[in-house]
Amino acid sequence: MKILIFVLVILVSLWYLSFLATRLDRLHHRVETSWANLDGLLQRRAAIALEIARSDFADPASSLLLTSASYQAREAGLKERSAAESMLSGALGLLIEDGQVHTNSAERALFEELSLLTAKIRIAISIHTDAVSSTQTVRRKLAIRLFRLAGSAPLPLVYEFEFDAI
Amino acid sequence: MLTKKLRIGIVCPYGWDTPGGVQNHVRDLAEFLIQAGHEVSVLAPAIDEAKLPSYVVNAGKPIAIPYNGAVARVLFGPKAFARVRQWISSGDFDILHLHEPAIPSISLLACWAAEGPMVGTFHAAAKHQKVIYAIGPILEPAIEKLSARIAVSEAARLTLTNHLDTDAVVIPNGIYAKRYSNGISREDWSGNTLGFIGRFEEPRKGLQVLLDALPIIARFAPDVRVLVAGPGDSKEVEESIDPQLRRRFEFLGRISEEDKADFMSSIAIYVAPNTGGESFGIILAEALAGGACVVASDIPAFDSLLGSGEFGALFTSEDSTDLAKTVIDLLRDTDKRNRLSKIGKAHAQIFDWEVVAEQIFSIYEMAMVGGDKITLSSENRPWSRFLSRDEGKEK
Repeated sequence: MKILIFVLVILVSLWYLSFLATRLDRLHHRVETSWANLDGLLQRRAAIALEIARSDFADPASSLLLTSASYQAREAGLKERSAAESMLSGALGLLIEDGQVHTNSAERALFEELSLLTAKIRIAISIHTDAVSSTQTVRRKLAIRLFRLAGSAPLPLVYEFEFDAI
Repeated sequence: MLTKKLRIGIVCPYGWDTPGGVQNHVRDLAEFLIQAGHEVSVLAPAIDEAKLPSYVVNAGKPIAIPYNGAVARVLFGPKAFARVRQWISSGDFDILHLHEPAIPSISLLACWAAEGPMVGTFHAAAKHQKVIYAIGPILEPAIEKLSARIAVSEAARLTLTNHLDTDAVVIPNGIYAKRYSNGISREDWSGNTLGFIGRFEEPRKGLQVLLDALPIIARFAPDVRVLVAGPGDSKEVEESIDPQLRRRFEFLGRISEEDKADFMSSIAIYVAPNTGGESFGIILAEALAGGACVVASDIPAFDSLLGSGEFGALFTSEDSTDLAKTVIDLLRDTDKRNRLSKIGKAHAQIFDWEVVAEQIFSIYEMAMVGGDKITLSSENRPWSRFLSRDEGKEK
């Protein structure tokens, strides 16, 4: 009888561990896809920013600022990324107010695309942040740390976007 | 907007044949997506399978359980779970959209059984959902599988963050704004009329608050009348009304969508005295779209829908004196009334399906970035293979 219970306990805990591992795996997957989504949107934003910088609308000074900010945003590593993107947001912010009253239709289309993209980026950030924070919560669980269920996967970082800036 | 054609699975937790906000939302969303060229399958419990539209798959007969101050018709259990798994594995969906996945229902079962891009929409908003949400820790592994969460209002989002510790994107419920914008003003409904639509027998709809306010309103506006539309037994309510006020009431019964449009453009003021349990207030969006001037109680859902009073007047919930004051004020000031209804009508366009469906679709796109399809989740796979073999033998 004792052996039976012992075997049962072992089986249940094995099942629980495999359940936790799948759960964690899924969460890591969610972090990756939501990041891929956010990353793609940010790249598109940088491309639009470049286009605005090269249009007739931007004065030489803001053009220079935008160009350098968008290059930095595109080439930044993961750690510098959020600082670079915030800088791009700032540079774009300077132009957006003027952009809305501007009459040239081609440039207005650019700004419209930008504002649509910005709305999407906001949502993408919140989706990604949510994935990251659930992953962090689950990874704090004792069983997961004890049995190293996370393997070698790095702990996902919260992307500290200056939310108001975009 | 909708370029790639998708196979979309939507799960509706409540009985398809019973009227309700979630069901209407799912129906409109499904029909909108089908019109846009997508393949949509809706899984819902239903009593009468013969009456289901072609895109709805019956999950079984719903059971009535008390929930959120009303009776919810939901479905769960091993048989339902088998149906859900079968629907998922045979559906070959690109994306799964689960409605109200945090209550025990087929939505939760689907969330449990599936893996891949899933989006959940949370409708309910209530302070006292402890009973349901006390099981939060058990729900967590399922709910965290959702790639993205949508809340239909700020109130629903707060309920979610408080009880389940997760955030959501707010996308409002949709209405077909155009259907309401061309109402014709009918003479017998116009004048100093107050409109009320809803299941008036339910206390939380707040008809009683309006009844209590009426004597005061009648003192200042002697010709005021109240038009009540909606399903329910009006006799009982009529008898409970003070005989002196009874002649001011007219019960119209259930009215059609076209009548609703006329109703909204005829009446002087639309009154929504709901005392709570409301998460979004779709009727207010419809009233605004129909060009009615709206007076509503200041419960969170209405407060946010009306932009804290910008698009309609608010009164302190359950305070009939304040309701009377607000209504009298507006009945006397035609300019203010017209201004409110004009601003409100413009604002209502953000609830139009064209706008709302596009927002929902962009969430779908974000959820699908990984390029995976919906499959049965790994822990369900062998189990289901075993089951389907079993079912095969039965046949």
